[in-house]
Amino acid sequence: MELFSELYSCYYRVLRHLLCSQNPLTIKEIYNRICQEGFEESLLSIIPKLEDGSWDLFRREGELYLSKLSPSFCIPLTNLEKSYLKALLADSRILLFLDAEQAETLDRMLDSVQPLWHQEQFYYYDRFDDGDPYETETYRRHFRLLLKAQKNRQFVDIDYNSPKGNRVHHYYVPIRLEYSLKNDKFRLLALEQRSLNYNKLETLNIDRIASAQLTEHTLPSSIDINSIIQNSYYQEPLTLRILNKRNALERAMLHFANYEKNTTKIDENTYECLIYYNQSMETELLIEVLSFGPMLTVIGNERFLKSLKARLQKQKNLLQA
Amino acid sequence: MSDFQELIKNFSNIREYVRDFFVYGFKTRNEFQQKSSRTYDNQRRRLESWLSPYVRKDYATGGSNLSLAIDSNLLDTNPLFQVWKTKSFTDNDIVLHFFILDLLQSSSALTVEEITDKLLTKYETLFDVQVVRRKCNAYAKEGILQKQKIGKSVTFFLDNTLINWLKTNENIHDALAFYQIAGNLGIIGNVLSEQLEIQNQTFRVKHSFFVHTLEDGILFELLSAMNKQLMTQLEIKSSKNMHISTINCIPLQIFTSTRSGRRFLCAYLNSHRRFNCYRLDTIKKVFPLENVEHYNELLEKLNRNRPYLWGVSFQSQERSHLDTLVMTIWVQEPSEQYIVDRLKREGRGGTVTKTARNTYRYEIQVFDCNEMLPWIRTFTGRILSLECTAKSVEKRFYEDLENMYHMYKI
Repeated sequence: MELFSELYSCYYRVLRHLLCSQNPLTIKEIYNRICQEGFEESLLSIIPKLEDGSWDLFRREGELYLSKLSPSFCIPLTNLEKSYLKALLADSRILLFLDAEQAETLDRMLDSVQPLWHQEQFYYYDRFDDGDPYETETYRRHFRLLLKAQKNRQFVDIDYNSPKGNRVHHYYVPIRLEYSLKNDKFRLLALEQRSLNYNKLETLNIDRIASAQLTEHTLPSSIDINSIIQNSYYQEPLTLRILNKRNALERAMLHFANYEKNTTKIDENTYECLIYYNQSMETELLIEVLSFGPMLTVIGNERFLKSLKARLQKQKNLLQA
Repeated sequence: MSDFQELIKNFSNIREYVRDFFVYGFKTRNEFQQKSSRTYDNQRRRLESWLSPYVRKDYATGGSNLSLAIDSNLLDTNPLFQVWKTKSFTDNDIVLHFFILDLLQSSSALTVEEITDKLLTKYETLFDVQVVRRKCNAYAKEGILQKQKIGKSVTFFLDNTLINWLKTNENIHDALAFYQIAGNLGIIGNVLSEQLEIQNQTFRVKHSFFVHTLEDGILFELLSAMNKQLMTQLEIKSSKNMHISTINCIPLQIFTSTRSGRRFLCAYLNSHRRFNCYRLDTIKKVFPLENVEHYNELLEKLNRNRPYLWGVSFQSQERSHLDTLVMTIWVQEPSEQYIVDRLKREGRGGTVTKTARNTYRYEIQVFDCNEMLPWIRTFTGRILSLECTAKSVEKRFYEDLENMYHMYKI
């Protein structure tokens, strides 16, 4: 079994799509498809091979290219893919998606296959202890209902136990289901309808949902979630100065790799890193920055700097008391 | 640049480049000194081609910086999966791939000779029978083709049962959409999703480290060795001094940090009679060796040791066996109950005791308390005292605090 194999290559995928096309293609249509699905320079490699017949996969009729393959062409799974699926069957979250009968059917089809890994071969040593209860029927029912509503842009009537202990009741349209590896939890990113023309993006923990009912109402058009998230970022990013001691640079770069950031070298041993974030990320980011101790210096923004200083002042007062 | 090829033969050569661009994103051409200029130019051009929507160029004094602007909050898949889809191949490889599989869609089992004949009659392409045999055997080994021997005759056929079942099952599509972005070896889920024409438009992932996929090849080889309970030889390149060394060890478990973005192999070293952890990104090659008979005993031993691990270190710098750390924190009750919850949730088995109104004591015994400092610092602003039997840990904590007061003029 090979992971780095031409079987999974971008070129094979582009050609499969071209060859499974029912209609004869012009060279321009082939160009367009390669540009859409290939890498930026794939055109330069693929077109000459098709034109000079090195990849004699099309019949030429004048200016048209006709696939030599049958439209029903499909490729069975590789052993690697089967082993991957077999490993997923042992994951605690798989029954959020499959019902017991489907899981059993798949397991039977993969009867002779060894899983690529076993769950116990992975140990998440700093994952939080209070992960979601994937095995409970209520949780699975809510998860599936939200999944369905998200695909259909359907409003859901949700009763929610807020972290502060209040019971909240609203109509939401699920936009995305967000999984946190650190918390081992799913959160629902949903639009809450405040008025006819105003929807607010809210984040709900799925295991805090007390009840959920689908409604008949749907959102007429899709939502550009990325614009909403990007617009929520503070205009002024967090600016960090990193002194490269105790391997701090590498640790910080990896630690903050999942944020949008920009790093520049100031001098031989000092770097400046800009991190873009929004209000919902603020406390977590502050905690992450504090965890580095004096290896990171916050230069700005003022808001972040103020929160950091307040924590340090509070700490100093406690130790002096 | 006329011989520039977008595809590559060897993944390990590109792995470090992608990592440097993605993780650091500030290195200029001059800082890639260990490689020739031409190699740098070609690799850079490839990355720009594969990852063009995410490439950002900035101009710095030492030349232009190339970096990857990847915000995991905004993505439905991991852009770095593209790097796995760049394997080069020959003209024969691609032509045989499509024609053999197409031929067998509508045929029952065929011998290599029959396949070779039909390639000529149906597709007007002439191949040597040995070339066709090699490809059929390779595909049988990969599991794409089924091979059966009846008497002296060896035939090949397709079994589309599984792929057809997957195509019609929407629930498995949802599962793949999720696991490709949030699960282990997501690249495999991603290529399978592409095969089924599925695009994730439902799931997002938080606290994910997309860069991990660059180590998936190494992870895959380590898991194979672990599944077979094999001793392995690792080639390791130090992240500090770039020195390359080899070690023989018994791979036991993958340790993953969901916070720092690091993944480690936890292995047993027979030579030192102890466990040790190696960062996956420093492992360059994995060579499987002989079978280990006492593998399960070692796993049990590791399980017995694990409650005393804070992170990945089995021994402190002071070389004591176990150290005890006690932290007392101030919590405004009842409004800040969430801080107590944090201690319990994140404390990895440490005890949490209320000692007075608004005061809680957290206590734990671990191999290396030094590893705890980043977590301890997240409680800055609440710590009433910190005591540790490893005095260097205590000292560093208070010194670091003093440094921070000084830095921020507090």
